[in-house]
Amino acid sequence: MELNSTPVRTCKNYNINDIEFSEKIPNKFKKFENLKIFKDTEKDEVITDFKFKDFDIKYGTGLIDQIKNSSNQNIRVNVNSKTNKDIKLEFDFDEKNLELVENIEINIEPETTSNIYIIYRQRTSGKAFHNGLIRVLSKSNSKSIITIVNLMNPESSNVLSIDGKLEDGSKLKYNIVDFGGKTSITNLYTNLLGKESQNLINSIYLGSNDEKIDINYIAECFGEKTKIDIDVQGALKDNAKKSFKGTIDFKKGCKKAYGNEAENCMLLSDKAKSIALPMLLCSEEDVEGNHSSSSGKANDKELFYIMTRGFDRKSAEKLLVRAKFNNILEGITNKEVKGEILYEMDQKLD
Amino acid sequence: MAKTKIDDINRNIYDFKNKDDYDYKIKKGLTREIIEEISKQKNDPDWMREFRLKALEVYNKLEMPTWGPDLSELNMDEIATYVRPKGKMASNWEDVPDEIKNTFDKLGIPDAEKTSLAGVGAQYDSEVVYHSMKDDLIKQGVIYTDMETAVREYPDLVKEHFMKCVPVYDHKFVALHGAVWSGGSFVYVPKGVKLDFPLQSYFRLNSPESGQFEHTLIIVEEGASLHFIEGCSAPKYNKVNLHAGCVELYVKDNAYLRYSTIENWSKNMLNLNTKKALIGKNAQVDWVSGSFGSKISMLYPMSVLNGEGAKTEYTGISFAGAGQNLDTGFKVVHNAPNTSSVVNSKSISKNGGKCTYRSLVRIMENAKNSKSSVSCESLMLDDFSISDTIPTNDIRTDDVEFSHEAKIGKISDKTIFYLMSRGLSEEDAKAMIVRGFAYPISKELPVEYAVEMNNLINLELEGSIG
Repeated sequence: MELNSTPVRTCKNYNINDIEFSEKIPNKFKKFENLKIFKDTEKDEVITDFKFKDFDIKYGTGLIDQIKNSSNQNIRVNVNSKTNKDIKLEFDFDEKNLELVENIEINIEPETTSNIYIIYRQRTSGKAFHNGLIRVLSKSNSKSIITIVNLMNPESSNVLSIDGKLEDGSKLKYNIVDFGGKTSITNLYTNLLGKESQNLINSIYLGSNDEKIDINYIAECFGEKTKIDIDVQGALKDNAKKSFKGTIDFKKGCKKAYGNEAENCMLLSDKAKSIALPMLLCSEEDVEGNHSSSSGKANDKELFYIMTRGFDRKSAEKLLVRAKFNNILEGITNKEVKGEILYEMDQKLD
Repeated sequence: MAKTKIDDINRNIYDFKNKDDYDYKIKKGLTREIIEEISKQKNDPDWMREFRLKALEVYNKLEMPTWGPDLSELNMDEIATYVRPKGKMASNWEDVPDEIKNTFDKLGIPDAEKTSLAGVGAQYDSEVVYHSMKDDLIKQGVIYTDMETAVREYPDLVKEHFMKCVPVYDHKFVALHGAVWSGGSFVYVPKGVKLDFPLQSYFRLNSPESGQFEHTLIIVEEGASLHFIEGCSAPKYNKVNLHAGCVELYVKDNAYLRYSTIENWSKNMLNLNTKKALIGKNAQVDWVSGSFGSKISMLYPMSVLNGEGAKTEYTGISFAGAGQNLDTGFKVVHNAPNTSSVVNSKSISKNGGKCTYRSLVRIMENAKNSKSSVSCESLMLDDFSISDTIPTNDIRTDDVEFSHEAKIGKISDKTIFYLMSRGLSEEDAKAMIVRGFAYPISKELPVEYAVEMNNLINLELEGSIG
């Protein structure tokens, strides 16, 4: 089955329009029990077993119907606090909880601030399946950071759709950490509808062994003076393969909008493969759009410099990867979450 | 604040029509019988007739592209794929029928031949009507002739190379080309021969509801050097015309080829051309491409860097006005160590025109220590035009340096302000910015085309941006 399709097609022979997903997809799920919820203030609400009305999303990975019909976790988060408190949802896969199909709705009220963490963690062995949807409504003048961390084991499949809408003056930042799964597919759509709304997407990924990472970020600017900034940093070792598809679409009327997209992949093996399709689509004259993409091995001079300070090559490479990831890591204020990410990064690069 | 207006290309010099007066025109459509008839009309050898029929089979099996511009208005049942003009191929302009000669006079081809070219080929509809080259090049063993003559006189050379670089199963319109090709140029530059002046082939399609399917095959042997210029134009008709040419370039070790194209088809033309170069050790191919005409273009020249140390550069500009959808770009495959590629693409869209830059950079596992740098910039001159950038970067090994950057936007107010603070008027400032934008490309064009391109960036002030 073909998933994670690009909004605009390019030549079929380039093998980037979709990812072929050949894993068997289960169709019946028992309740996923290992969900932990933390929140620092009573004002914010996290409602589980939420009954959703039918909805449509514009893109998604291609497995949205399964979520609509068979989800085994339905959660609604209402952000009401103006004091930038943490809300944390932790999904822990284990031998008894190997399948998660969840539907999360995040409703960020006007003028509020929040810091939301969603963590998919698997410390046990066993092949797990995750298909999730996170829908975000960022209302006027709100400020939010949503950090999504995938730490599933290397046998599992991770499929995640994120669909966000930003109203006037809202500022939304995504931190996306994609370290887990044999196959990890992420689709993120952001609709910058409101005037002067801003969306920053910071994303890091790490691939090893035969892992496949497929990333598809789509940003549509409708509102005037909107701003979208996509920064994707990654490293691949062994035979890992990454496809990055990034689209910034300036729609007619989004005057003075600004879009920037940067993707950089560090290749730590001569067998690793990086393919990228950074698209800029423009139907409005009065905008500024840039994108850049680069790939290559670790810089020899930088490696040499670090090694002259007593580090072996592997440690030096780790330091360089860490330096690349630092921008996003610095933005993760929760020390526990940050510590866990650093630990996983260290393990994966060993 | 005043608004920049950039004129459309002055098409008066291209849009004149001659009477649809031909020696032979095949009936419209695409069937086995039609292909056999074309083959008979052209006196093909058996192998070529078989080749055409096989290509037709491939064409019928392949699907239309599922990406890019909408080609639904193309109906092969409405296209005559072979039109033989009056007269025989000549090597003296005086022997070319008057009406056809006048056409090329207006396009300035005989004048250019006298002043700055080593040889000229001129095709009118489906056949080459004129071919000539300087005597000293003939003495050095250079071959420059039409493809039909090459098939007859150099069968081994043609058989070895014809549609081997661009196989018929590459895509549907290459298969179509293989079935109905006619005309085009064959160039062979022997080992070590370096041409000081360019060769130029000019392709003119006059007949309405027809297609042009010329085949260009160039072989540059070891250590040789060539600059080849290709120009094309057609008058405008109400119904669709089709251009599906094919260019195959074989550039052997240490050789150099510069391939310049100025495409100025009329705005009823679907331009679905295919160009590809196979490049040997330490050899280099530079592409210079200007796309100004056609209703729809899908044009992505390709370099395959097969030899160690091979290089390629692509410098291209597209200018899409009202009703035009120009989907252009470049493809490069690094297939050997120490190879390098540089891509520099610019586009200007106005009056509702659409420019798309679509590309592929693929660095294969064996292409260690290769470098690739891609830059594309798009300028939009009004708020109802469209400009898209769709690059694919496929990196399959670690020991590479790859970078891609793209920019999209309008003329910067800050830059205008800066230039005005230095004493320029606003209109001069804008003219300077647009010319500066196009300059990296225009400086690479043959001089007469560069002048033409600069003329089209004819700025005046009008209205207001608000």
